[in-house]
Amino acid sequence: MIGLLVTFVLFPLVGWSIGRRGIGEAFLFGAGLTGALLFLAGVAHVPLVIALALIVVWGVGSGVWELMHRPRTVQPTPHLAIPTIVMCIPLIALTFVAAITPLSDFDGRAFWVLKAKGIAHERAIDGPFFRGATLDPRNHYPILIPLDGAVILGVTHDFDDRQLRWLYLGFLAAFALLIRERIDRLVSPAAGSWCAALLVWIPQFAVEPEGGALSAYSDIALAAFAAGAFFELVEEVLPPRDRATSQPRDRTIRFGLWLAFLVLTKSEGLPFALVFLVIGAFVFRKRIVIPAITTVIAAMALFVWRARIPAGDEEDILRMLPTIFGKLHHLGDALAAFPVHMFLFPRWGLFWIAVVIAAVLAWRLDRRAARVAISVIVAMLAVYAGVYVATDWVVSDLIAVTADRLLMHVIAPALFLLALASSTVQRTKSM
Amino acid sequence: MSERPLIPSIACALLFLSLAVTTLPRLVALVKNARTLLPLRYEARREKQMGPWYVSVETLRRELPPHEPVALIVGPHDVDSAVFASYYLYPIRTRLFVGRNDYRNASPDPTLPKTIVAVTADRAARTTYDALRDRDLRAGHRVVAAPALSEPRTTFILPMAASLDGPAPETFVIEATIANPSSAPAEVRVTFWPKGLVRTITIAPGATGKYYDFVHQLFGVLDRGWMLVDSSAPLRAAFYFANRGHGDATLLPNVTGPATGIVAAPIYRDTKLFVINPNATQVTAVVGGISFPFDPHAFVSWPVTKVPIVSGDVYAFVATRELNGRTDFLWPR
Repeated sequence: MIGLLVTFVLFPLVGWSIGRRGIGEAFLFGAGLTGALLFLAGVAHVPLVIALALIVVWGVGSGVWELMHRPRTVQPTPHLAIPTIVMCIPLIALTFVAAITPLSDFDGRAFWVLKAKGIAHERAIDGPFFRGATLDPRNHYPILIPLDGAVILGVTHDFDDRQLRWLYLGFLAAFALLIRERIDRLVSPAAGSWCAALLVWIPQFAVEPEGGALSAYSDIALAAFAAGAFFELVEEVLPPRDRATSQPRDRTIRFGLWLAFLVLTKSEGLPFALVFLVIGAFVFRKRIVIPAITTVIAAMALFVWRARIPAGDEEDILRMLPTIFGKLHHLGDALAAFPVHMFLFPRWGLFWIAVVIAAVLAWRLDRRAARVAISVIVAMLAVYAGVYVATDWVVSDLIAVTADRLLMHVIAPALFLLALASSTVQRTKSM
Repeated sequence: MSERPLIPSIACALLFLSLAVTTLPRLVALVKNARTLLPLRYEARREKQMGPWYVSVETLRRELPPHEPVALIVGPHDVDSAVFASYYLYPIRTRLFVGRNDYRNASPDPTLPKTIVAVTADRAARTTYDALRDRDLRAGHRVVAAPALSEPRTTFILPMAASLDGPAPETFVIEATIANPSSAPAEVRVTFWPKGLVRTITIAPGATGKYYDFVHQLFGVLDRGWMLVDSSAPLRAAFYFANRGHGDATLLPNVTGPATGIVAAPIYRDTKLFVINPNATQVTAVVGGISFPFDPHAFVSWPVTKVPIVSGDVYAFVATRELNGRTDFLWPR
């Protein structure tokens, strides 16, 4: 119960401490900020307990103040009843299940929650746990989400993973709310509501034991942070329906924070952030400097931390890249990986088929916005395909266990294309 | 009222149905499963989810000292089970060893955990290195398939008896085959010197006892020494000094008394002179021109660079290792 309270009170308040926003976005911002600040504090050898105390005091204090004194700059539109109910059904069911069933996934227990336990126990990110004193198979994995988990375990004084079930479910719910709010703002309330509803009904997100909301993987969090970054890009390209409600002032800072969260959440986050920076350079032009700085700070902190601790058995992609030309025989498998998995009906239904059609339609309506979404999807899938080529694992095995989770990362641009296409059809119809 | 466009609605409905057709039944199944778990306490839910494996880990978590690191030894196919055992045992610190060899090769490491937990997909249990070694040896095959049995004898000495491991894959054992050709049961008294451990085994008339690791199977120790075999009936026996890691074996002589005239032969690396005192009294022997006292039943070895001249009321032999790792023995005449 305390874990539930910490998850759904502390993180949103920290998120609200830097500006009034929707609860979904506040949760994501709060979780990202808490993890990132604790990570930086850990790298700087500031005791995590002191850093957390400061975050809690500052976050809760200013979060409450923001809520009480500052009105929302963006007024939420009334929600459509049917898609809202449709969205709530799986979330309620998943909440019931998460409250009762113990964690049983692979990566969550083997890597992510184990790290959270280690951090909570040692109150450090470079203590004996990370220095080989105990079995930690993927020692170099970024630890933003485990730090969030450690906060919950630390506050509850309980290392049982039952306390963390809400965190991962919270990411899905917050992600859905972010999708609804942003697409509502960018396209239409109906599109926003339905896209959020679709998201929580995608099997890979809702019920898949490896990577879904009932697992403790970090893929939903990464997808949500990527969504945050993506919508900042698109809002710059595609002005909101109501210009008075747009938030251009802080957009580059927010974009930079999302990118920093990406870097510190998963190993894939760094190339993802670089892709966003490249695309963002065309969108923000000179203002890309601010996001670039935050990304570099996060990446440098990650590299410094990694240099201090021994590596686990994870692959070092940077070292493998020069070997890529000797592994071009993997290219066929790598290129086929995503198309094959996109059309796996039990995981994705007709989702990706719809996205492909939507991309064509969206291109006709708003070439610039569609180009951003398609660029993000194609660039990231190309990066992942490149990793598949370079890997030392058995390629088919790696694809089998990762492709669907990697597709999760680009779900926001995919949903945006669906929303954009639906508005294309509506406009065509109304002409 | 505004006209709602039909195409996006139908497309959205189709898309939603394609997702719900998979998600809904699985969601219902998850909720049903949760309802069945609901009456149980949380740990019992885990036990129900993960079965006896989790129960064994839970037991271990209660029993293991919380501040002592633990070695998790697993087979190559059970690594995942060890990772999860580590997860549930934390904050008890764990180190993973894939196979027993991985553990023994780390023996020079002063931080090597002394407490061992063997993890399989079925259970995790506290164990000892000896027990794991015995399990592996029992599961494998003896090196010598057709042992050359000696002439019948009631009493003899086995000048080398060992159950020891070197760096992987070196695994030294005595493979023993003991046949009782007589019509009466043979009560065989085996004494392992210099510790003086005694065990008695019975070989039925016409039966043959086979041992893959005679010293450990009889005495439960990893050690070396010599043996006195004393039987109530004549035995035909074959004792091989075998290296299971290399798959080689040397037939050991069934000695009847002191002997020191070691036959000169080429020696290689790790060459050692072994001297045993089969007597119940202290004796003095001359090794390389120097006199040494030997305690009763002593078993002494030291490295040599050439075959030394030994004299006295002792039994002396030399062991040397060929470059391929095989152990050669130079026995006395």
